[in-house]
Amino acid sequence: MCQEHKPIGNPSHFEGTEQEKTTAHAVDGSFAQYTQGMKFFDPHVHMTSRTTDDYQALADAGVVALIEPAFWLGQPRTGLASFKDYFASLVGWERFRSSQFGIKHYCTIGLNSREANHEALAEQVMEILPLFLQKEGVVGVGEIGFDDQTAAEEKYYRAQLELAKEMNLPVQVHTPHRDKKKGTERSMAIALEHGIKPNMVIIDHNNEETVKSVLDQGFYAAFTIYPFTKMGNERMVEIVKQYGPERIMVNSAADWGISDPLAIPKTAALMKIKEVPDEHIRLVTYQNALDAFAQSGQIQESDFINGLEIDQTQKFNGNTVLRGGQAPRVNKDSLIIR
Amino acid sequence: MNTNLQITDIIAAIASETESLWISEQLLLEGKALSLAFVKVPRFVSKRQITEGPFKNWNLDQVVRLAILTKLDEKQVDLLFETAEMQEAVALTKSLPYLANPSNFLLRATDAVRSNMGPVFDAIAFDNTYPRDYFSEAAWNQLVLKCIFNDKAIHQIIGLEERANAELAMTLSDFAHERWSAGRRVPSQVWRLIPRFMNETLQSDIEKLVQSENPSDVRAASLVKQEVQIPGSTQGMWQELEKAEPIYTA
Repeated sequence: MCQEHKPIGNPSHFEGTEQEKTTAHAVDGSFAQYTQGMKFFDPHVHMTSRTTDDYQALADAGVVALIEPAFWLGQPRTGLASFKDYFASLVGWERFRSSQFGIKHYCTIGLNSREANHEALAEQVMEILPLFLQKEGVVGVGEIGFDDQTAAEEKYYRAQLELAKEMNLPVQVHTPHRDKKKGTERSMAIALEHGIKPNMVIIDHNNEETVKSVLDQGFYAAFTIYPFTKMGNERMVEIVKQYGPERIMVNSAADWGISDPLAIPKTAALMKIKEVPDEHIRLVTYQNALDAFAQSGQIQESDFINGLEIDQTQKFNGNTVLRGGQAPRVNKDSLIIR
Repeated sequence: MNTNLQITDIIAAIASETESLWISEQLLLEGKALSLAFVKVPRFVSKRQITEGPFKNWNLDQVVRLAILTKLDEKQVDLLFETAEMQEAVALTKSLPYLANPSNFLLRATDAVRSNMGPVFDAIAFDNTYPRDYFSEAAWNQLVLKCIFNDKAIHQIIGLEERANAELAMTLSDFAHERWSAGRRVPSQVWRLIPRFMNETLQSDIEKLVQSENPSDVRAASLVKQEVQIPGSTQGMWQELEKAEPIYTA
């Protein structure tokens, strides 16, 4: 993945054999042969920024459920109403859109760190958060934490930790791009200070430098496979080999930037090629994320593992636009459009 | 009709002890806490389906949400609409006829017709008296047309015969012509909406239907003719055509 960009960002850290390396390069575009029968859970992906082509590709690649954290939209919002509509779309339209492809859509709701710096607006957002945090399928407070590590960011990180504690919800913590190591340590220390159990906290966007401390302190460690700015998946394989699968999860964090919603299946294929045991692959690409966020009480594996359960109201009338969670299939190779 | 009394009966009949306890506690709350109770319902109340009575085919959680809604003021209900996830939007929409001043929520109801989420559209369109009682003719016609357009069976709409009108009949004719030009069709039962408004155009549509290779269309044409001759004589006879029919095939 992204070999041609290697000089810009992620060093390869590829420590496999020459044979493995050759195989890995030979399977570009047909990685699915290595993930046959696998199911994936992406605990961090911003689907509002993606197209239906992505949903179709995710479904084809075996992604059965995902979590969409509330984040910033690439530019700051100027009023409460846009926050309200955004949160409502995460539990409304986006959830429905996802269901059309047979993918169960959950979300986490929170005030992101960048916009926490706009204090007047942040206060108003805090007012409406409880209304959204208690909704069906909201599996945590997130993504929250530090970006610039300002005083305002800390204030709203703390306030949202309190909400999470009160509602007994997991917390999805974004760690900063800049000054990452310090920012990660600070995020964990503050969560502990608020009396939140580390197993209720998912520390996101880890790398080789942060992972040991996160795991040692009992937190979940999430890794984002995202070209250039975060992890590459070759490095990810080495981390799983080194630390084992416990409390580690992989996500794509695909959004409006140059990112890859298929990051999890591709990483799973690479792990398979590099002989990571199947059970370890399953834990880091599916089960651990499920276990961590199911602590919200809002995830039932049975809701999606055998395809989406058709809602009673849909079943009764038997004729929603898309016949209860069935994926609308378009043959992309067809010249004729009907 | 005392909605709250009926709901109390339903809860007593089908809710578990734990559910009943939680529900009665919540119904004592006020203000923001009561709004929050509406949101929290699925965390404490199951989606068991109600099988008889005035709330037949509702789920228990929806009925409990209705009970809460009847205790909220309009501003609170508005905020719940604005922040609703899909199941909440369905419950809110189904509840519209039971609120204190239903006509004040007309825009919410027509928004539900505009919704692209199937379950939300269904909540206003089917087994709901709100459109029949409060929609303008234009809004009513939009509802029926959108139903047909989305391949949904129109007999589930309450008030179909009472609210039939000449404008709708002619729009249906136009719509059918478009479909026919595209090599498609309209579901046969749709023609039940035209007998009271026959004119030359509609007459020629029926003649075309008579020639159809599709037996349902032929049946629909004969029912329309019979209804025109003896009004009221086809009541109940459309039942065999009351089904969803794919419209994207010729």
